[in-house]
Amino acid sequence: MKYEVVLGNEAIALGLVEQGCRIVTAYPGTPSSEILAGVIKYKKRFARRVYTEWSVNEKVAFEIALAASWTGLRAAVAMKQVGLNVAADPLFSAAYLGVKGGLVVIPADDPGPYSSQTEQDSRLMALSAKVPVFDPATPAEARAMVAPAFALSERFGLPVILRPTTRLCHARQSLALDETQPDTAIPVVKFRKDPPRWAATPRMRYQLHVALNDKLRQVEAEFARSPLNYVVDEGTSDRIGVIASGVAFHTARQAILELGVSVPLLKIGTPYPLPQELVGRFMAGLRTVVVLEEPDACIELQLPDRSHVRGRLDGTVPAAGEFSPEAISAVLAEVLTDAGYKVNPPPNDPDLQNLVRSLSLPVRRPSMCPGCAHRSTFFALKREFGPQTILPSDIGCYTLGINLRAVDTCVDMGASVSMATGFYQANRLVGDTRPIIATIGDSTFLHSGLEPLVNAVHTGARFVLIILDNHTTAMTGFQPTAASEILAEDSDIARKVKIADLVRACGVTFVEVADPYEHNAFRSILRRAYDHSQAPEGGVAVVIADRPCVLYDPSPLHQNLTPVVVIEECDGCGYCVEAFECPALVLRPDKSRVDVDYKICVACGQCIDACYKGFIVPQEAETEDVER
Amino acid sequence: MNQRPPSPPDPMELKIVLAGLGGQGVIFTTRLLAQTAVALGQPVMASEVHGMSQRGGSVVSHLKIGGSKAPLIRRGTADLLLALEPNEAVRNLPFLRRGGIAFVNAENSLQPEVAEHLERLEIQVLSLPASRMAMELGSIAVTNVILVGFAAAHSSLPLPIDTLRETLTTMARRRRELNLQALEAGYRAGCRMQEAGSMRL
Repeated sequence: MKYEVVLGNEAIALGLVEQGCRIVTAYPGTPSSEILAGVIKYKKRFARRVYTEWSVNEKVAFEIALAASWTGLRAAVAMKQVGLNVAADPLFSAAYLGVKGGLVVIPADDPGPYSSQTEQDSRLMALSAKVPVFDPATPAEARAMVAPAFALSERFGLPVILRPTTRLCHARQSLALDETQPDTAIPVVKFRKDPPRWAATPRMRYQLHVALNDKLRQVEAEFARSPLNYVVDEGTSDRIGVIASGVAFHTARQAILELGVSVPLLKIGTPYPLPQELVGRFMAGLRTVVVLEEPDACIELQLPDRSHVRGRLDGTVPAAGEFSPEAISAVLAEVLTDAGYKVNPPPNDPDLQNLVRSLSLPVRRPSMCPGCAHRSTFFALKREFGPQTILPSDIGCYTLGINLRAVDTCVDMGASVSMATGFYQANRLVGDTRPIIATIGDSTFLHSGLEPLVNAVHTGARFVLIILDNHTTAMTGFQPTAASEILAEDSDIARKVKIADLVRACGVTFVEVADPYEHNAFRSILRRAYDHSQAPEGGVAVVIADRPCVLYDPSPLHQNLTPVVVIEECDGCGYCVEAFECPALVLRPDKSRVDVDYKICVACGQCIDACYKGFIVPQEAETEDVER
Repeated sequence: MNQRPPSPPDPMELKIVLAGLGGQGVIFTTRLLAQTAVALGQPVMASEVHGMSQRGGSVVSHLKIGGSKAPLIRRGTADLLLALEPNEAVRNLPFLRRGGIAFVNAENSLQPEVAEHLERLEIQVLSLPASRMAMELGSIAVTNVILVGFAAAHSSLPLPIDTLRETLTTMARRRRELNLQALEAGYRAGCRMQEAGSMRL
């Protein structure tokens, strides 16, 4: 047996490929993005036939996987937790309509949150949609849960959710890989027409709802017998017990050990529908039960009697934020001490911790990379329209434009366009005439920007929309968009969907494609766009800021390198650092001058425009000066 | 009363915190150590951060060698800290246990304020100008590998340099030679420091 270190998301992918999953779709989003890439990696390695795609959004991804399942193939769809909001419509309906081939839905939750707009719990979405949930604690368990997830999905004809969290997705664990598995043949299946089932009318939906409720009762009974739910240290205490699921289980186990006590711990691998009988048996006789789960209360919420339960609902467990080992230890220490247990003190040294905190070490906030064209776009737009402009933005690397004060709002995928429309209509009523300039990335525009643009054109809204086209989905690791000529896997069949054509087809009459590196030309196009948005016959104006991400495709940059120097005269005013915020421009601590950090500078030359005093110059220019 | 003495730590379990800034290769370093441990037959569990934090912010990863399944290391329990940047080293010092060791890429010693605490907690800080050495070798990008070589010269990191070299050979597809040189340079610097007696065993 060969052991390899495998990323949690790849472990899920490995499970999918091993279990004969044939269709996997996804939309990238941290912490889920490596699942689809992992499927491609292992299907190649094990020579399996699996269709994969990066869909334009999660709803589309879900529906493609659902159709595949209706033919009888095993299918899966992966996304981040807020992606499940986008796919909620088909999820709720699919629970009623059911599946044929197993359908595993994988929404990755993000307690913290580290890279998301909410800390929502996909298990609660499952509870609402009435879809069973598997809640793995480690990459190894996530891989192992894929088999029972598909089996359950097929036996009951239900979509099921496999719900990892960030700490699992981005954990690396050593797993045994068996290279010699035989390929399983593609099953002989085909879609069978059955309109009363697959296109059920409301009257039939009632019947389906009754059937769904019945299925869930059977699933609950099956979960009560499942080896995924088990007790460790049974009978070690008659007073306190702990119920934990997901990553919190192993952290809790470790914490109990470190506290120097022994209490029974119930691991729940299937939090919905909660196997009530099994949980009831565990709780019987215990005076207090602590429930540890992330990111919200799902198991706890399903407990019929919470009079001696301590968790998120009674305030024992913090109602927000990630479960750190420290947080879990603190919760357990409190409950155990209340019950008269003696526990070991925490191992950390508070004095050192306080000292480190008091040093106020510089916090390096994330910022756009040196050479990032978004920075150039934001700088130009701030220069052209000033600080009064209303700047709705969206989800992506460019949300970091908040550092440049170029982002006023960030709600959800595609909201920039509809928020701009809303601001326009509201401002018209209150007589506010400030310019409205919205920004959205290429992938985000294709995900959810088209419908609000149609809406804006149709309703006569007036604003400028800048589509930041960096030719990729950069923040999540350079997944291709529908506007690129590549697919998830090497293929020559991709058709490039041109963003400018889409925008024109939406009815926008001002559409310009421009390179934000050309500072002055870009600014004048922005001005013309704004003028169009205000003209009597005008409306929404769209500028496509076209420049590839420097990490993804640095070739245009390399064709025109412009190394810069900050000349002696620099007075350290800090304007460039503040307004342009390139990590390669560093203001000295004594504020005497700015230096270029050549270790990270990519020689884009964009900062030349960021010093209005002319102290940042091309290297050749300086050399010429010296020669003169 | 249902109380038992704390279990002794697993003799094989080693907890390592790795810290740096986005782009410095914290995740690559974690993978290098993890793959090497697996090559030696040890189970590993590591935790890392992706996404927005990769855009230049602080990056921390936790690595447990020896069988733990909880992904995060609790403050005050790490055996080793590998820090690619001095401020990130100081920020993460509270993770170290009493008697823990920090390997730090730094030109100068850490903030003087922490010295007295480190002495009290018997924490040893071993610094190496790894960035400067990396630049001399030809690329700042191998700073992380130099620091790994440096740590490998110390008995507290039970990963033999030969196994590290083998793992690095398979992992560094681009610039393999440069990476191997970097590992060697860090390792030799560590050995020299031990011979000179400035690094406690």
